[in-house]
Amino acid sequence: MSHRTRRSSTRLVVAGALLPLLALSACSSGTRTDASAPGSSASGDSTLTVGLLGDIGQPPDPDIYYANNGTAIMTNVYEGLVQYKNDTDTVQIAPRLATSWEVSKDNTVYTFHLRDGVTFHDGTPFTSAAVKVAFDRRIAVKGGAAYMVEGVKSVATPDASTAVVTLASPNAAFLSYLASPFGPKMESPTGLTKHAGGDDAQTYLASHDLGTGPYTLSSAETGVRYVLKQYPGYWGTTSPFTTVDLPVYTDESALELGFDNGKVDAIVAALPSSSLDKYAKASYAANYFLPTLQGAMVTVNSSHAFFADADARVAFLQSIDQSQLVSQVLGKRSSVATTMYAKGMIPGGGDKQAISHDPAALTDYLKAHPAGGTKLVVGYANGNVNAQQMANIVVANLVADGLKATAQGYDTSTVFGWINDPTKGPDAFIDGNNGPDGGDPYMWGHVFWDASGGINYFGCQSADVNKTLDDAVKTGDVDAYLAAGEAYGKTGCFLNLSYNRDWVLAQKWLTGVAEAQNIGANELDFSKLGVAK
Amino acid sequence: MLRFLARRLGAAVVILLVLSFVVFFLQQVSPGDPARAYVGANASTATVDAEREQLGLDDPFFVQYGRFLAGAVTGDLGRSLRTRHAVTDDLQTYLPATAELVLAAFGLALVLAALFALSATRRWPGAAPLRGVLLVLASAPPFLLALVGIIVFFGRLGWLPAGGRGDYVDPGPTGMLVLDTLLHGQTDAFLDAVWHLVLPATVLAIAPAVAIGRIFRASLDGALETDYVRTARSKGLTERRVLAHHVVRNSVGPTLAMAGLQLGFMFAGVVVVEQVFSWPGIGNYLAASIPVADFPAIAGVTLVLGAVYVLTNTLVDLLQAVCDPRVVAE
Repeated sequence: MSHRTRRSSTRLVVAGALLPLLALSACSSGTRTDASAPGSSASGDSTLTVGLLGDIGQPPDPDIYYANNGTAIMTNVYEGLVQYKNDTDTVQIAPRLATSWEVSKDNTVYTFHLRDGVTFHDGTPFTSAAVKVAFDRRIAVKGGAAYMVEGVKSVATPDASTAVVTLASPNAAFLSYLASPFGPKMESPTGLTKHAGGDDAQTYLASHDLGTGPYTLSSAETGVRYVLKQYPGYWGTTSPFTTVDLPVYTDESALELGFDNGKVDAIVAALPSSSLDKYAKASYAANYFLPTLQGAMVTVNSSHAFFADADARVAFLQSIDQSQLVSQVLGKRSSVATTMYAKGMIPGGGDKQAISHDPAALTDYLKAHPAGGTKLVVGYANGNVNAQQMANIVVANLVADGLKATAQGYDTSTVFGWINDPTKGPDAFIDGNNGPDGGDPYMWGHVFWDASGGINYFGCQSADVNKTLDDAVKTGDVDAYLAAGEAYGKTGCFLNLSYNRDWVLAQKWLTGVAEAQNIGANELDFSKLGVAK
Repeated sequence: MLRFLARRLGAAVVILLVLSFVVFFLQQVSPGDPARAYVGANASTATVDAEREQLGLDDPFFVQYGRFLAGAVTGDLGRSLRTRHAVTDDLQTYLPATAELVLAAFGLALVLAALFALSATRRWPGAAPLRGVLLVLASAPPFLLALVGIIVFFGRLGWLPAGGRGDYVDPGPTGMLVLDTLLHGQTDAFLDAVWHLVLPATVLAIAPAVAIGRIFRASLDGALETDYVRTARSKGLTERRVLAHHVVRNSVGPTLAMAGLQLGFMFAGVVVVEQVFSWPGIGNYLAASIPVADFPAIAGVTLVLGAVYVLTNTLVDLLQAVCDPRVVAE
């Protein structure tokens, strides 16, 4: 629990004036001077402080927000019709504002039966009319996740508690779209009209909310903090936390120190794996490793000369020791990936990844195809410590094989610009943590393997794979997804490195953490958290 | 004086034009894709392409640059691709926090510089270790100093906060929390704001304090050797009066020039300090804008920093003229 710290003016003046000397004296002290042991018990107030590492990056508007850091804010303020089931590592759709649903055999008509007694934060009752309004606004705003409702042909409302969504073409992934943390959320129709302005209420929703979730957005100070207040009219269970304070830390050390001092109660999927050991040994900390669809992965640039040959790409990927990367870098939050899709996406795990570690593969390839003096660059995203460390290890192994390899960091915007001209990118890129929007295999295959999907950085694709995926999404045919995965694996452009879990670091007194999380990642349902007695 | 000001104003316009051109040129040659940053990581290529066209990023360089200049003249610096607010609104939000931090640090730097110089010149007993500490701290990079400060004063001692501006909402009107809470008589909020300011301001102040202090000391030493000081002493003036009325005033010219230079550097160097201390100023805003190629925001901050630098140096020149009328005559 957080409390505001007040200091006397005398102490202020003394500390300010003697700062340099105090620094020296403190450096010589090895003991903690903070009187209270952090996290030993919950204080009496009802504020939960969840530290953010960096700002959430985009306005907290459910039709715009399409990043990771603020997902918890969005999913606690807004609700969709369905969600992923909490506290499980398999992909299961669970009710949220819809209590049940039926899907037509051809995957074109989805009928939702809506929950009674739900109100928006502005007091407007939630009815089926809100579904169409929310879908329409998503299209109008044209955010990154607008694709999820672009296939909606019509929304019929036979009564106030039934919404019938008809799609223009079959889509077996539609429920996964709706369950995604980035999926369409319900927004008060009256509120949207009232605050429409000239931009479909975008200005209003940058600092206010019109959702139905357990919390309202009380304040949004970009780069400073976000504050959520418990919504008294919430239909579901509520937690003891009437306020959730999400201060923005821009420095990792400061965030960790805030947790150590008890000023931060929880950190959700923000710290690098290099901090795992420290908190594994900390008596005041509870570590949770919760399932997600995220993973580390390697993407190979086939537009560069050395990797133009598929055999070279495969040999390179075989040279990567996944076990080494997981054990040395990612640690307990990850396990070695053995499938082409995310863990649990294909029931039974039949999507085995064909490429496995073979230390001799690249050496043998280089003997047959001498590449003396070939320079390779392995890229990673700036600021991603895990990816940087993995890139360094991969580079060291390449150098041992006689190649002139280097690791290089890139800004996010640069990474996403390569698709326009892959020759400007590095030879390979390592993602420390990436994932699809939802749990349907199409959402993985399309995004990572189809050049038009969004995260196929170097545009390495196969027309056959794309067609197989496009056909599979119409029926949800698992065999088709297996075929697509097997075919794409042969391109040598992609290696699924690890299955990553969300590392949630919490004070020991915080309860209900695992029950508050689902595979959507980077989120906790704050209404399900509690305080140990 | 008017001619001097007109010349300065003309120079400022040229500098800002060059700065804006450089920023736009960098945008053009950068491999980053601002449209991708705008719609989000997983957005499809089609969505990104549509947004790029909507934002006018497909237009030729000079069309984009001309549009920016036309907007800038009317106070419209475009819309941030990251926050989606007007850049001028963002600057109004974040600039006061930076100004507060830099001004506090500058004030502290001047005090420390004066102590540094006077203690050396007057050979105050026990002052040498203080100067030594300042010199050691000034030799450390600001980010390291900031991290050590946080570890010691927040992590170990728990005396000072790790970052942020405080728990209170700024009641206005200036956006500078310390000043506004003082104006509204909010004692708790004022102390809280000052408490949060101590560590970042100190980190930012130390290196400039030593730079200014060294110049001031050299000027003081030089002045103390002059004939007019000997004359003043021979007239029987007290040492304190000699120092205050003759030595300091004649030493302040070069010191002012260095102080102005350091103030400009502080605005430019505040990015690192704001980053480490989660200080919600334009430095932090800039640091968050660069990785996602938010060029309207980057251009806006660059123009503001450029303007502040020019303004600061103009003010220093004016102050020098006030202190030493020969400056204008020259």
